Formats: sequence, structure tokens, C-alpha cells
Amino acid sequence: MTKLVLMVEEKSASVFLETVLPKIAPRLNYVLITHEGKKDLENSLPRKLRAWREPNVSFLVLRDKDSEDCIQLKQRLLKICRDTGRKDTIVRIAVHCLESWLLGDLNAVASAYNNPSTSTLSSRAKFRNPDNLANANDEIIKIVPEYQKVSGARSIAPFMNLSANRSYSFNIFVKAIQQFAVRNYCA
Amino acid sequence: MQVESLTIKNFGPFKDAVMKDIPTMAVFVGANGSGKSSLFSVFGFLRDCLVHNVKYALINKGGFNEAVSRGTIGPISFEIKFREGGAEPLATYSLSIALDNGVPAVVKEQLKYRRGQRGQPWKFLDFKLGEGEAVINEDDYGKPAAQMKRDWHKLESKDILAIKGLGQFEKFKVVASFRKLIENWHVSDFHISDARPSQEAGVAEHLSTRGDNLPLVARHMYENYRPLFNKMLEKMKKRVPGIQNVQAVSTEDGRMVLKFHDGSFKNPFMARYVSDGTIKMFAYLLLLHDPKPYPLLCVEEPENQLYPQLLEELTEEFRDYARRGGQVFVSTHSPEFLNSIKLEEIYWLSKKAGYTEIKKASESELLKNLVQEGDLPGTLWKQGLFEGVDPK
Repeated sequence: MTKLVLMVEEKSASVFLETVLPKIAPRLNYVLITHEGKKDLENSLPRKLRAWREPNVSFLVLRDKDSEDCIQLKQRLLKICRDTGRKDTIVRIAVHCLESWLLGDLNAVASAYNNPSTSTLSSRAKFRNPDNLANANDEIIKIVPEYQKVSGARSIAPFMNLSANRSYSFNIFVKAIQQFAVRNYCA
Repeated sequence: MQVESLTIKNFGPFKDAVMKDIPTMAVFVGANGSGKSSLFSVFGFLRDCLVHNVKYALINKGGFNEAVSRGTIGPISFEIKFREGGAEPLATYSLSIALDNGVPAVVKEQLKYRRGQRGQPWKFLDFKLGEGEAVINEDDYGKPAAQMKRDWHKLESKDILAIKGLGQFEKFKVVASFRKLIENWHVSDFHISDARPSQEAGVAEHLSTRGDNLPLVARHMYENYRPLFNKMLEKMKKRVPGIQNVQAVSTEDGRMVLKFHDGSFKNPFMARYVSDGTIKMFAYLLLLHDPKPYPLLCVEEPENQLYPQLLEELTEEFRDYARRGGQVFVSTHSPEFLNSIKLEEIYWLSKKAGYTEIKKASESELLKNLVQEGDLPGTLWKQGLFEGVDPK
């Protein structure tokens, strides 16, 4: 069974994925590599792609868009993958960041922090498409003042509903994992 | 003298743990509670067995039933392979301890070695339950057509080690050096609060486990190894801004205290007013410049209180200590420290089904390739690539 190596930029992303990946594809065989920021991720990427010589391994790179241009960022990462001979690497961008994905499921946020009124916020225009929010991190703190990156991801992830998230970038990430799982018989 | 492999069975968290190809400096990483300190405690246990007896060693561990791995009935076994020097034969010492009618006893103690890669090893010592055989013509070993001559011995009791109980072994080089290793290994678990106050005047050549004789050792080095002391001081000046001199001074009431001179001020500071990191760096310099290295030095988390940039040079000093004759085992939680360690020097401990497993980093093909591509070991550890090491 092909193994998926997921390269993420920080601890909060790997804490989030450790809970979410088994929900997307219970039999997925994966390894998470946690970096110390996006710069570290980009420096480490070519080294990992070159050094990993074990057969039947695919890579997925997940990075926050933050203030960069999404298309250019994706092209740059894909070029690194091509240059190291791993053009099958999947690149996914969280737009703008992990918090956008969390805001895409306000019911999960409400359950995690035991604050039912939060879910009513989903009718507000700005939460209908959280990928448009440039400051998702500030927005989530406005809703849940005690939110912190790692503990927040850890508390919210178990409540995430994978089929009702309003973040487009989250949904295409989920789709990529599902397709990988189907292709490799671990759906 | 170098320990080359260590096998531990049914002792504490180690149900069946093996460390192979141990280098002169070995560094251990692992989550809290993964067994790093327990690993060092193996040598303390063996020392208690040797210097006192097996019963005493077990009492220190809370009795046989506490010392033996949970869910097992023993025997508690150790196998240590060691070599006196590069060209010397590899010797294997094995010891098994179990309950004999409810009383702790040595159920197996063997020492064997062979010269070269081939041929039957000679069993120099083969004891169980207080009696056994020992070779009496060690000197003939390796001579053409030499035959072993053995004597039968009975020890005073079933719970003492033959390597101690038989006086004649003192002239056996291998036994003598193995005893020296076990008797003189040292663990450094430095406590700054113990090192800070003044000390009863006296003589100390080596830094104690908790470092409470720091001023005495400083004085000893200053008086007997002045060039070495000056070299240390130069390093101190480079690493701790402002430090110009460190002195061990006698007080009026016959005690000894450390004083640190800062170039900007006329009067020196007493140790109790100096920063934690300053004291710790000074203590490590003393420990690692010891003119008589311990045969095995175990150090717990040397990185605490130290500025990360200083760790690289500190690792070089550990390695230098190892080169001068003392094997060094270090446990660490610091990626910076690990970044300056070679992959072959790294072991990681993880718990599997309740028991500790020990893995050698250089046995992983992936880690070797990644280091070749330019990744540093500490970084790879932090990225979670030491399989099973992170707490979940």
C-alpha cells in the first residue's frame, strides 16, 4: 500500500491532520513531517523528496497561503517537486491558513468550546466563504478568545464535519486525500 | 576501555533491549518516561551488585519484584560486550539474577572472550548459584596449542559476583578493567542550587554527581593543573560575557566558595549571585577537563540553562573527553545539541506495549539519506522522523 508523506509547515497543522486524516481515509498509511514555519518547509522539501528512496511513497505538501498569491505559490512548490523528480507530488494550499478551515465549520468550533451561540454566526456573510477572510486567525480569536493554534486545532478537529465545510481550499484538500486513498486501495 | 554492546532483559522498562555498535560517545533522546534515566541506572545497579551484593542492589531498587520488568518473572539479565583497547579481544560479561527459593541469587555469571575473529572463545569464568569454574592460565590464552586449565570454586554466598569474590582475578587484565568500569562509572546530574553555596573545606578531585563540591574541585584543578585551569578560564571568558576570572576562595570559617570576577566591576561576585548558566558552564568545563576521565561518564540533559549557541562547542568537549579515554553517554531534549551530534552517535528510546525499545539512528536508511542531503539530526528528530519517539 502506497504511503503518503505529508509535509506541513507547523505543529498545529499536524495536530489537526492526525485527527482529520483517519476520518477522511481510515486505512490511509501516512507519515507527517512537521516544520518550523513555511520557510523551513520549503528548504526541507527538496531534501526530503531526494532522500526518500523507499518504494511506493507519494508526497503531499500543505502550506498556508497567507499573503502570497495562491497560483504563484503553488507553481513554485510544484517546480521544486518537478526539479527533484517527484512530479507526482500533491500540493495543497490552505487559504489563507488553517484557521480558515476551522471557521468553515462553526458547528465544530461551537462544540469544541461548548458555546452553542457560535454556530449561529454561520449565517453571517463573511463566514459563508471563510477562504476570503485575510485574517482568519483574528476572526477566530474574536469568537473564541481562548483559542491558541495548537490547543485550538486539537480541540476543534474531532468535531469537524468533513462534508459540510465552507472552506473551498479545505474541501479540495479532502478531495485530494480521498482520491489518493481510492487510487491506492486505502479508502 | 569501551562498551561495544549492551543487552538488558527483564530489568525495569527493558524487557528485551539491545544496543549494538556503541560509539565512544552515545547520545540518547526520548520522551519523558521513555527510560533514559533507567538506562543509566543499569550501571548503578551493576555497581551495587559488584561492590556490595545482588541482594543489596535489589533492595535499592525496591526489591526483586520491583526491579524486574512488569509482567515478567525474570531472570534479570545483562550482557555487556567490551574491549580494553582497539586491538584487544572483545570480551563478553553476562549476568543473570533470579529468585532461588525466594531469595535473590546469581543464576548465571560468565566472562568469555576470544582473540581475532575466529576460534572458540575461552570461557574464563562460568558460575551459577555461588559456585563454578574459573580459568587459571589466562596468560596462555592465544598461545599455540594452549589448553585451558580450570579450577572449581565456591563463593561465600549465592548473591555475590565471582569477579569480586575471587581474589585471584585481580591479576586478570580483562576482569580488572571491567571492574574498574563498573566501580568508577559516574553520572552527572548537575544541580545548580547544590553547587552555589560554600562548601566545607576539603579535597575533591572529581565533580560529584550533583556538583555540590564545585569549589573544591576548582581549587584542586587550580593548584595541581594550572595550565588546564587557565585553558578552562579562557573558554569561560569567551562563552560568558563579562567573566574575567573564577576563583575558589577560603572563607574565615574554613569553608570554600567560588568567586566570579566581572571585568566591569572591582569586587568579585559570590557564586550565589551569579547566573545559573554561568555556574553550569563552569561546572561542565571542570567536569570535561578532568585530567583523569571516568571510564564511563553519563550526563543527564546538559543543555539546561545554557545558551543554545554554546552547545555545539560543548558537544565537541564531550567528544574530546571520550577520545581521552572515558566513554560518554548523554541524554538530551535539545535539538540544538543533537544537531551537532553524528547520526551514528544517536539512539532513541520509545515505549512499545509498555516496554522500552532502543533504536540506533544510523540504522535507518531514510535518516542516513536525509543527513546526506543536508538535514541535521536534531531537525529530523523535531520533524518527527525518529519513528515512535514522540509522545502521542
